[in-house]
Order: sequence, then C-alpha cells, then structure tokens
Amino acid sequence: MPETEKIAILPYRKVFQIAWQGLRIRLVKTFLVTSCITLALAFLTYILVSNGLAAQVAERASEALRQRLAREGLLEQMLSPEQRSQTAWMLGIALMISFVGIVNAMLISVTERFREIGTMKCLGGLDSFIVKLYLFESLCQGVVGTLLGMAIGAALAYAEGVSRFGAEAWSLLPATALLRTLAISFLSGVGLTVLGALYPAWTAARMEPVEAMRNEV
Amino acid sequence: MNAEGPIPNAEGQENKTGELSAAPGVSSAPGGEAGADLLATHIVRAIGVRKVFTMGGEKVHALKGVDFKVKRGEYVAIMGPSGSGKSTLFNMIGGLDKPNAGKVFIDEVDIAALNTFELAWLRCHKIGYIFQTFNLIPVATALDNVMLPMLFADVPQAEAQDKAVELLRKVGLGERIFHKPVQMSGGQQQRVAVARALANDPAIVLADEPTGNLDSATGHQIIELLREINRSEGVTVITATHDYKMLSVSDRIAWLTDGVIERFVEREALDIREGQTDAR
Repeated sequence: MPETEKIAILPYRKVFQIAWQGLRIRLVKTFLVTSCITLALAFLTYILVSNGLAAQVAERASEALRQRLAREGLLEQMLSPEQRSQTAWMLGIALMISFVGIVNAMLISVTERFREIGTMKCLGGLDSFIVKLYLFESLCQGVVGTLLGMAIGAALAYAEGVSRFGAEAWSLLPATALLRTLAISFLSGVGLTVLGALYPAWTAARMEPVEAMRNEV
Repeated sequence: MNAEGPIPNAEGQENKTGELSAAPGVSSAPGGEAGADLLATHIVRAIGVRKVFTMGGEKVHALKGVDFKVKRGEYVAIMGPSGSGKSTLFNMIGGLDKPNAGKVFIDEVDIAALNTFELAWLRCHKIGYIFQTFNLIPVATALDNVMLPMLFADVPQAEAQDKAVELLRKVGLGERIFHKPVQMSGGQQQRVAVARALANDPAIVLADEPTGNLDSATGHQIIELLREINRSEGVTVITATHDYKMLSVSDRIAWLTDGVIERFVEREALDIREGQTDAR
C-alpha cells in the first residue's frame, strides 16, 4: 500500500516544516526555552561527568595522583555522601525550574497563537495535528538545547578535572562510561522538554475553533 | 434523501420564515423552487434555532428561534448590528457551534449529530472560511497557507501544490506565491484567504466581515472577487457584514435584530432602494 504510506509521511514533514518556521520567526522565545534547557543540561552533564571522573579517580588513578589528592583531602570530599546528596538536591531543583520554565514558555506560545490554532481547526485541522505541531516544536528546541548544554557541561567538567588531576583526567573516564553518561543527559533533556510541552499542546488542541473568529486582539 | 416526508414541512417553513415577503418579486425567485428537488437545493437549513449563553450568571438569548435557508449557489448576506446574534448564527452555519434547540442542516447533515472528527471533516471539505482579520498562518508563505487545508484533507503534496498555485493565480496573486503574510497588503492577504477557502472545493464559503479590516476600494475588490467565484464556481457564499457595499452583490439579505431575523430582502427590491439613495 504505497499510497497510504505516502499520506502518512507527508503531513509529518509538513508539520515539522511549519513547527520549524514557527521557531525561526519567534526567535527570542525559542532562545528562552532553549537556553532554559541548555542551562539545566549543562548542570546535569557537568555533575554526571565530574562524578564519573571522581569515581574513576578512586579506582584507576595512578599512585602518585591518589597520594596527592589524599594529601589535599580532595578525595574524601569528592566521594563524601553529604556532598553527593547536596548535588543531587541542586540538580533536582535545577531540572524542576527548567521544566517549569518550559511549560510556562510553551503556554505563552499557545495563548499568543490562539487565533492561528483556531484558524487551523476551522480549516479542518484535527486536535492531533495541533498536538503534533507543539510536540515537534518542543522536540526541536529540546534537541538543540540539550546538545548545547551537554557540550558546555562536559567541557566544564573536563576543565575542572584537568585542573585537579592534571593531564591524567583525559584518560580517566572510559569511552563507554562517557557515552553512557551523555546518553542519559540527552534522553533526560529531550524527555524533559517534550514532557513540558504536553500540557500546553493539550491546551492548544482543546481550543475552540470559534477563537479564530474573535476580532479583538 | 427521503423523498416525501420532510418536503411539505420544508415548504411550510418557507412560508413561515417569510423568506421573500419583504420583496415584491417573490415569485420570480431564481431556481424556481418547484417540488421534489426542494431539499437538495438548500445547502443550509436552520430551523427554529435557539442559542442561550450564560454570561456572568445571566442568560443571554443570542438566537430566539431563527429560520434560515440558503439555496445552493446563492450569495447571501447576514446583516445586523453587533449583539444581534449574527456571529452566533454564522458560527452555527460553519459547524463551529451547536444550537440549544432547533436544527441546523448543512448539505442535509444535522450538525448536532456529528462528533468532533466529523465536524472537522465537514469544516475541511464542505466549508471555506474567510475571516475579518485574514488569519493567515504568519510563518507560512501564501502557497503554504493555501496548501494547508489540502494537507488536512490528505491531498497528495504535488497535487495540492498545483492546485494552490492555480488558485492563487485565480485571485490575482500568481506573482506572489512565495510571499509571507507580512510582505503583503491587507487586500492581498485577504485574497490569499479567499484562495485558501476554496482549496478543498467547498460547497459553502463563509466570510465573516471580510471587508472589515480593508479600505473601501480594496474591500470592493474582495466583494467582487467573492461574487465572481460565486458565479464561476457555483459556490454558495454567506457573509456576515456591516458593509453596505455587500448589499449590491448579494442575492438576498437577512436582517438580524435581537436574535430574530427581522426580514429578508431580495436584491431586486434592494436595487430600487439603493437607486433612491443615490438620487438623494
């Protein structure tokens, strides 16, 4: 059934196109949501990578480095449970703030575009189309923001690692461990954005088409 | 369509609405509504439509039993002051709102019986909307705007694109298919909206104050364009308007006051009145 397949794919491309154009036009707001995600993800990636480095130091670092760190008391500090629970709290709060920021920005984007959404519904657009539109939009922002944040976070973590452990930091974290960490960051970043867009998208989809007829702005 | 049952009833309604009573030229109404085809000739039938809104705990009767019929291919204007229930009636004809009592049939389909999906289908395939504020998608080009309803109707992209280009040519914007709404004047935007309304070959074009945001000359062009499309495509055009320019092209005008249709006026009757106004 090539015909049905074609029909199923085309609208997705179009939806994506419309969503992308929407993001380009509303550049400032796009930037706000994206930077929200970028900051949160930079923090998350930084914590994950530097924790990974610290854990590896305890196991795999050279004798000389370990002795130096033990002398400076850094090793215990890095691996202390208090330190870890404190960072976990901060991380949770940072992610929550970023989540609220995303929901808020997306809700504003919905109220701003009530007429556009109403028009699409007048023209025969289904609720699912509107939901798709918003989810695609947030997906774009999520991916861009997450990648940026991951780059920044990982760079910071390694910069700190090098300043603490010297050139040895580069070889501390095995590639698989690093990749796993980055994958966790990526999934949580994109997941957070799409999750944050669900409620606004649902609000938009439930909007009455009559809204398009409202003449006052 | 069941042949016998509803027809006498419909004819009864015809008289009761006083559809043509304000005009002397009743019998010369176009279409010669003789007998059996009566049902099929009405694209819109509203029977005893009532609508009540609750606003701040108070009940507002927006429509108090409106009977309104539109023949296929007719050009009808609904006129009335704001608050007359004009928009409410208009929204019902557009399948955007359902009556509290009475029935609205669009192409013989009772809109109250439709679910969300069927209503969306109806809006997509049967009705073309034109808004006072144009309501083009700001981020999309003229071409994409016209293609949008066809996307909703699952028309293959290549076909949709050809048709959109053709429609844009028809409304005189063949040179501007890649322009965005901000790059166009109000009149041009409304032309795009007209092309978009025609995208899925609707049976009805609903225009809500289509000239409300346009200057007089541009408004006149849009009215002429609508009239031309009404003639060449045989599309039924229903407009809600305050614009007296609309009167001269409409086949029939429904005057709405306080939620009831005060009277219907045929164009023949109206030309005379306009002549008198001009002479003054």
